[in-house]
Amino acid sequence: MVKTDFGPPKYLDMMSDLCKRNYGKWKYHEVLDTGTLVHVAESGEKLYTVRAATPRLMHVDTLRAFCDLADKYCGGFFRFTSRHSIEFLVEDEANIEPLKAELHAMGYTPGGVGNTISNMLHTQGWIHCHTPAIDASGIVKSVMDEVFEYYKEAKLPARLRLALACCLNMCGAVHCSDVAIVGVHRVPPKVDDEKISKMCEIPNVVAACPTRAIRPEPAKKSVVVNEERCMYCGNCYTMCPAMPIFDPKNDGAAIFVGGKVSDARHPAMFSKLAVPYIPNEPPRWPTLVKTVRLLIDVYAKDAKEGERYGEWINRIGWEKFFKVTGLPFTDKHIDDYIFSVPTFRSTATFKW
Amino acid sequence: MPFIEVNGKQLEVDEDGFIQDPEQWNEDVARYLAKTEQVEELTEEHWKIVNYLHDYFKKYQIAPMVRKLCKDNGVDLKRIYELFPTGPAKGACKIAGLPKPTGCV
Amino acid sequence: MPELRKTPMLDQLLDGPFPSFVKEIKKGAEKNDACNDLLGQLELSYEEKITHWKHGGIVGVTGYGGGVIGRYSDVPDKFPGLTEFHTMRINQPAGWFYKTDRLRKLLDIWEKRGSGLTNFHGATGDIILLGTHTDQLQAVTDDLAREGWDLGGSGSDLRTPSACVGPGRCEWACIDTLDIVDTLTRRYQNELHRPMWPYKFKIKIAGCANDGVASKARADFSIIGTWKDNIQINRTEVVNYVNAGFDIIGQVVDKCPTKCISYNPVTKSLSIDNSNCVRCHNCINKMPKALRQGKITGATILIGGHAPILQSAFMSWVIVPFMEMKPPYDEVSELLEKIWEWWDENGKMRERVGELIYRLGMRSFLQATGLPAVPQMVLHPRTNPFYFWSKEEVNQ
Repeated sequence: MVKTDFGPPKYLDMMSDLCKRNYGKWKYHEVLDTGTLVHVAESGEKLYTVRAATPRLMHVDTLRAFCDLADKYCGGFFRFTSRHSIEFLVEDEANIEPLKAELHAMGYTPGGVGNTISNMLHTQGWIHCHTPAIDASGIVKSVMDEVFEYYKEAKLPARLRLALACCLNMCGAVHCSDVAIVGVHRVPPKVDDEKISKMCEIPNVVAACPTRAIRPEPAKKSVVVNEERCMYCGNCYTMCPAMPIFDPKNDGAAIFVGGKVSDARHPAMFSKLAVPYIPNEPPRWPTLVKTVRLLIDVYAKDAKEGERYGEWINRIGWEKFFKVTGLPFTDKHIDDYIFSVPTFRSTATFKW
Repeated sequence: MPFIEVNGKQLEVDEDGFIQDPEQWNEDVARYLAKTEQVEELTEEHWKIVNYLHDYFKKYQIAPMVRKLCKDNGVDLKRIYELFPTGPAKGACKIAGLPKPTGCV
Repeated sequence: MPELRKTPMLDQLLDGPFPSFVKEIKKGAEKNDACNDLLGQLELSYEEKITHWKHGGIVGVTGYGGGVIGRYSDVPDKFPGLTEFHTMRINQPAGWFYKTDRLRKLLDIWEKRGSGLTNFHGATGDIILLGTHTDQLQAVTDDLAREGWDLGGSGSDLRTPSACVGPGRCEWACIDTLDIVDTLTRRYQNELHRPMWPYKFKIKIAGCANDGVASKARADFSIIGTWKDNIQINRTEVVNYVNAGFDIIGQVVDKCPTKCISYNPVTKSLSIDNSNCVRCHNCINKMPKALRQGKITGATILIGGHAPILQSAFMSWVIVPFMEMKPPYDEVSELLEKIWEWWDENGKMRERVGELIYRLGMRSFLQATGLPAVPQMVLHPRTNPFYFWSKEEVNQ
């Protein structure tokens, strides 16, 4: 043990002199194109940002290649965004085009600034997670390939945040995204009576169930699942290896839409259920990709400038949303969990 | 599943070294497991906590929360890490024969 | 080195304009068995549509109770390189700023002792080092420590706090998000490295109402930059925007949620009734050269955000409308410590602080923290008449 409890590297050590000189003294910024920003300080000095989406999962050699570019064009300074995009911090304007050319040569396209899709927030999926209902990186690749024009070009009325969580634990917290893909299970877990008392803390398993579908079965030193009450969230499995919930025939993805975290114009909103279930179709998930494409295309065409996805739906109404997208509205769409009643429409004023 | 041998008896452990059958736990098992968690010798102070954990689990079928563990034993968390360098969950609970606590989420 | 595993399904994810993660794993597979086996196991997952990672796994390093997530393949006979494939979380520099020489050291250590695969970044904000053996964990930690990189949080602890780019580049940072996150992270190292609470606790710091780190959605404790006084208007720049064809009525005036902006097309001047402004930031977003935030800046503090488990997702709600954020940020610390104490004392296992407040009520929370009840905390008062009085409040 060398040393502990010392914390991260100091951020000021990771900043160029220009950044430090103008720290907290920025005046305004401009979006130069979908991959480039300029921030102008009160001193008049300028800092250019070239942004490019990364696949989040990267080998050290790729990071080294980014470091090489940063050394060549940015004095060694760059950063990442909260949504897995790299941002090269360029001080000499003349470096922008050559940097972009080298990024292209590496297979990276600048984009994601302004009224675009920035990058798809996601987590581990089948690459590393023990609870996923869907993969993450494969779906992200498939979707982003399909909607790449919306990443590269500013074709949208406002920015669109795409996100993916491979199960309801939502490690990427996608519940406030314009379009969110969430992995879901559809059948209750199977209890391994032999293993459960050895591997699990039964009171915690019982307490883990949001719908109280689990009760102890003391005779068997196990638990019993009331399958009628179970809505397959998988939290019991998170607590207990002896209650697996995977079912490749039934696991799949749900799509939620209309959330946002920014408070601009309208306060932050949760995403709401648009599509309850699309099966896993590795390696490229064609149905899921097609549906996401449809959802984005309809919004791009119908929304007014400056309207986020959720603001667009607020204006036209959910009745119209299901009409223009052609998506079915089912009993699954109607809330039946603990905060359901405030979501019901207690008025006769609605669109046909 | 891997096995450990204590006093000529084979005990099944998982890949993290937690014993799979709580019925098989005894003080010799605890001593064996302690060495795997950087506790060379179990002093009276160690045993107080180990026995507390074992009894608590037997009674309530769950591990106590950290706050309760500290309060009921009159130790602070700092002392726990001094006694059990790998911490209350990985260290003390393992030595006391409790099941593996749940992980990252 | 055995040859690369055959992955016909994964290979279909090599082409296309978005960078390919399969390419990244293959880079690693050319250098070590673990990545090659990862290709194989992932291909199997694609064929079977199921994960092949065992449940959980608890590994660690000396002195810490977290920062490392155990992972074991459930088919190690097929993929021996993944018998042990643990993840390490490394505390990122505030705002995710990097200097190449420092980062290269981390990359070298990781290539030497692990799979070479990383995530930039995990959802909480840490650098993720994806895949190493149990016997390398302490060595990686020690090597990184020598280079000034520390582990991040995991388990029922203070998870690694994160912050937006803030004053490092952004003119909209009302607060020094970087200094705040750096200070709090260093102050609460014990809480970060040694799980001690009912469940996890996340702090995220955003410089303005745009909330670029999704603090209100993802953090138990949200610090959002704001101001108290008037938006500053540069008249010349307003005229410039209009002359350049900007739709000031459609994009600014009409979109103001409280209709507090008026525009005079004759004089081409904008005026804001600040007493009715809620600081949503739309007008500033749209006209960054012409409009600037007020000068009396600070933060709004919100509490309770978390993902759906267990009782539906919550977004954090206001508990302190305005807090001056002056270093060393003692006011924030005082509040945090009161909250932690109340939550630790009363919280059930795996109960997030927002859920505890939901269970015990804001009244109980306000008593514990000494915060006053203010209308800014609610969208509207309660609609039901089921409110409590304490014994002291009623006539004896």
